[in-house]
Amino acid sequence: MLLEDLEKLKHDIGNEIDKIDYSIRKSLSEIRVKVFGKAGYLTTLSKGMRDLSADERPKVGALINKVRNFLEEKISAKEKDFEQQELLERLEKEKIDITEPSREKIGAAHPISSVLDKLTDICVSMGFSVVEGPEIETDYYNFEALNTPKNHPARDMQDTFFINDNILVRSQTSAVQAREMEVRKPPFKIICPGKTYRNDSDSTHSPVFHQLEGLVIDENISMADLKAMLTILMKRLYGEDTTIRFRPSFFPFTEPSIEVDVSCPNCHGKGCQTCKGTGMLELLGAGIVNPKVLEMSGIDSKKYRGFAFGFGLDRTAMILNSINNIRYFYRNDIRFLNQMK
Amino acid sequence: MKVTYNWLKEMVDIDVSPEELAKKLTSAGMEVEEIIYQNKHLHDVVVGRIIQIEKHPQADRLVVCRVDLGGGKITQILTAATNVFVGAVVPVSLEGADLVNGVKIQKAVMRGVESCGMFCSGEELGIDENYYEGAGVNGILILPSNLKIGQPIEEALMLNDVVYDIGITPNRADCMSVIGIAREVCALLGKELKKINLNYNIDVYSKDTVRNYVNVDVQTENCHRYMASAITDVKIERSPLWLRARLNAVGIKPINTMVDITNYVLIEMGQPLHAFDQKNINGGHIIVRQAKSGESINALNHNTYELEEDNMVIADEKGPMVIAGVIGGMDSCITDETKVAVLESAVFDLKSIRITGRKLGVRTDSSARYEKGVNVANAELGLARALHLVTELGCGRVVRGVIDICNKKNEAREVVGSIKLINDILGVEIPTNEMVRILNNLGIQTKAYGDKLNCKVPPHREDIENDYDLAEEIIRLYGYDVYDNVNYKLFENATITEGHTHPRLSLERKFRNALIERGFFENISYTLVSGKINEMLLLPDEEYKIVRIANPISESISCMRTSLAHSMFQNLNYNLSVGNKDLRIFEFGKAFRAKSLPVQELPYEDNMLAMAVCEDGYDFFDLKGVLESLLSKTSLKYSLVRSKKSFLHLGVSADVMDENGVVVASFGKIHPVVAKNYDIPDNVFYCEVNTQYLADLPEKVYSVAAISKYPIVERDIAVVVDEKITVGEILTSIKSACGNLYYESYLFDIYRNNSLGENKKSLAFKIRLSDMNKTLTDEEVQNVVNKVLKALSYKHGAVLR
Repeated sequence: MLLEDLEKLKHDIGNEIDKIDYSIRKSLSEIRVKVFGKAGYLTTLSKGMRDLSADERPKVGALINKVRNFLEEKISAKEKDFEQQELLERLEKEKIDITEPSREKIGAAHPISSVLDKLTDICVSMGFSVVEGPEIETDYYNFEALNTPKNHPARDMQDTFFINDNILVRSQTSAVQAREMEVRKPPFKIICPGKTYRNDSDSTHSPVFHQLEGLVIDENISMADLKAMLTILMKRLYGEDTTIRFRPSFFPFTEPSIEVDVSCPNCHGKGCQTCKGTGMLELLGAGIVNPKVLEMSGIDSKKYRGFAFGFGLDRTAMILNSINNIRYFYRNDIRFLNQMK
Repeated sequence: MKVTYNWLKEMVDIDVSPEELAKKLTSAGMEVEEIIYQNKHLHDVVVGRIIQIEKHPQADRLVVCRVDLGGGKITQILTAATNVFVGAVVPVSLEGADLVNGVKIQKAVMRGVESCGMFCSGEELGIDENYYEGAGVNGILILPSNLKIGQPIEEALMLNDVVYDIGITPNRADCMSVIGIAREVCALLGKELKKINLNYNIDVYSKDTVRNYVNVDVQTENCHRYMASAITDVKIERSPLWLRARLNAVGIKPINTMVDITNYVLIEMGQPLHAFDQKNINGGHIIVRQAKSGESINALNHNTYELEEDNMVIADEKGPMVIAGVIGGMDSCITDETKVAVLESAVFDLKSIRITGRKLGVRTDSSARYEKGVNVANAELGLARALHLVTELGCGRVVRGVIDICNKKNEAREVVGSIKLINDILGVEIPTNEMVRILNNLGIQTKAYGDKLNCKVPPHREDIENDYDLAEEIIRLYGYDVYDNVNYKLFENATITEGHTHPRLSLERKFRNALIERGFFENISYTLVSGKINEMLLLPDEEYKIVRIANPISESISCMRTSLAHSMFQNLNYNLSVGNKDLRIFEFGKAFRAKSLPVQELPYEDNMLAMAVCEDGYDFFDLKGVLESLLSKTSLKYSLVRSKKSFLHLGVSADVMDENGVVVASFGKIHPVVAKNYDIPDNVFYCEVNTQYLADLPEKVYSVAAISKYPIVERDIAVVVDEKITVGEILTSIKSACGNLYYESYLFDIYRNNSLGENKKSLAFKIRLSDMNKTLTDEEVQNVVNKVLKALSYKHGAVLR
């Protein structure tokens, strides 16, 4: 009798639990009370144990436990389910509009300093040290120590801003070379970045601009070393497939002097608007340091030789970022800088 | 420097095309910047003869012309020109012609009559009266009747040359001439320079000599050579077409025989010449001397120049006739009436000419050559060539004898080079015979003995002095393409060196990254600014001595900036004016101050960081936070004091001061007057930091103290104090009252209300305490709080709220 009741209880309550869905989830606790409560079915049925014989007791006891476990598990499983669903429902409710803006603002570096940072890293990795010199310079360091005496025709190559007869605003970062050669003991490798000034203003020339000058002094330096070093520098700057080419030129402080053409990073040498169809861009001036310059700075030109190179950071930044107007750099319009993010 | 293909061809047997020659010149360092084809707009234009003219049946202003084009070809052309006549020889542009003014010729029917082309005016062919007689008239260019009918107009007018515009580097003054470029062409093509015709006729039987016309005194060492010849029976006329064609091609206006000859020799030989009218040389006496102060001259460009002692002049007994090497004077120049001319061929010191040209602001074709250096040997060559042309053109009789005063020797020099050193410099092995061949082709007679190259350098190559110069000559003609496609190893033969970053630039990089993360945009501004900078920023001139440019482009960029604030405020103004808003900007750069005025030594250059913000809701404390975050990257120990910066609001600004009282940074709200000066809003916040000072500080070192195992306990207190009591003072008092239980304390609220009393404020602080050895009890905490309150009451009159 009792066994049948238990089986029925298991079956009926089991069905009842199965029928409970999320919308009437509260009835689950009612069932729990109805079955396991002080006056619940199972408690009542357990009390009936007392009237059973010793033989029957274990059998019935085992069944009671089985039914209890069965129902308990069933209820727990449902409860867990509902909890999970409730949690999902809550999270769903807390949904926000992810397209609302953040409160952080982000600025940007000026393209010229980004280029300089990049160049500095490359050059330091090749053993160059970074040095600086004054922007207001003596005529001596800017010209005379670089084999360009007063009234020398080579002074026509650049229109210089003068403060007075002997003091000027430097027209080239090469001025730093002359200073460093006086104080450094060879061998050494340096780069000198900085602002330079020329009395020249149009769509491709700015009266204030930036240059980077490099100088290596050692015992056995040749044009081949210059080629190797500049090839690496240009590859790291413009990409692995970059090539460079030398052309004759003239600078008072180098002999031989060259212009260095770099394969156009835009068209990879095929010819485009950037390179005016030539496939090459004239980007650097360089050469073997004129022995007269070494001697003037107190370096023994019989023992030491060197190479020097220089180029414009503005132009480099223009090529790397497809900027076609040099004036953008100094107007500092946020609409320009915003594109450097 | 412009030269033409045909002109060069007259001196060298050129067997390559004009384009190939241009490429070769460029590869050797004579950069051909432009190739100009004279005939570019002359194709399909021929010489024709008008054989019949009839009225147009439908149009009063047009006539119908039958035109003989030679070879039996007759065509019909309509024209409105009124200067045509039967028998006139005229330029005829036919279908397909593309004239210089953009007109493209097509057959056309005008009021029922066909026109197969157009007659051209001089202007439509790109020429003027100076070049060709009749080219300047208003109407059709009427050509000489003896021209061959049917021949292309470019031939008839000698407009068929190819012109090169070549960039000559300052070391190659010798290439400022056709002969100079021709020497390069010889070296490039392995050819010999053709003999230049320097012959001229003199009447050997006449007793007349140059001394009868002129005597020369050279009284200045700035004149290295002075040569003069006399020419009688001078006929001033239009030069022949071939000569005009040459001058026209290189951009020089043909004038008359005498002037054209001097210009021709200038271009061809690079030798400036000057022709005097002999009757205007007072006393027949030429004196080359420095000018006397107070002298002046009325020059050919119609300007009068006041002269100084550093100007050299060619004078007669009355006064200056010519500013030597620069420009001639009106009174002594040749005219159409000149009967006897004196021709000067001289060499002057390049510095002297340069200084004079700069000072007087005159630059001529002559001075452009003299200031780069003309070789003394050149004077002789130039004079002989000019006299040859006088004979050839028949424009005068050359008088026997030449005056030649030469104060400077310039002969071939011996330069000895080392083959090994040259190869070491170049980093490539060039065969010795190649070196010898190249140098010989350049006119440098060279022989190799062992490692030595014995070179005889001709006078015009003053730039060649040593192995490095020889190396350059050899490699530029051997070809720089030897370096192409070779992979050299980096610093294969060099010493390994350590690479050091620059301390200040590294710090700037850190700061830059931090500022970008905080929404700031980096600016780079002109360091050249207006001289009004101090006035606009209220900076005292005495302290901020302005460095001024002596030769500025314009007032707005005539001075070195004394403060970055100027750049920042200008950039804000610009951005606001174009509609940009919520601006946060910064810049690294220098501010310049002269040590004394006028500038005698290099000025102070202070490396600064400047920041500026113009944004609604942004305040002093936002900017203070940014500055604190930057300073935290350095080892600076500092305190804040009220700032005295002239361009900041005195109540809303602060200086960051180090332990020695040095001001390292200043920041705050902009002064309202300065805001007005820059036309920017009042609520601009600005900060500047001395980056060099910070970079020079020792690197920040960390020393970590032990951390308590026990939790921090905290209490809040609110006190009412006078407005003048600062949060900073109270925080200092709290810290000292807490003793060694102090962990941290900070302000979390300020409340102001009249109920607190006049000029009072309520400040709420969190006090956080910690003990190394135990958890603090309520009683212990309360004891500390009581101590704090007592101290605040005693020191600051604070009342617990």
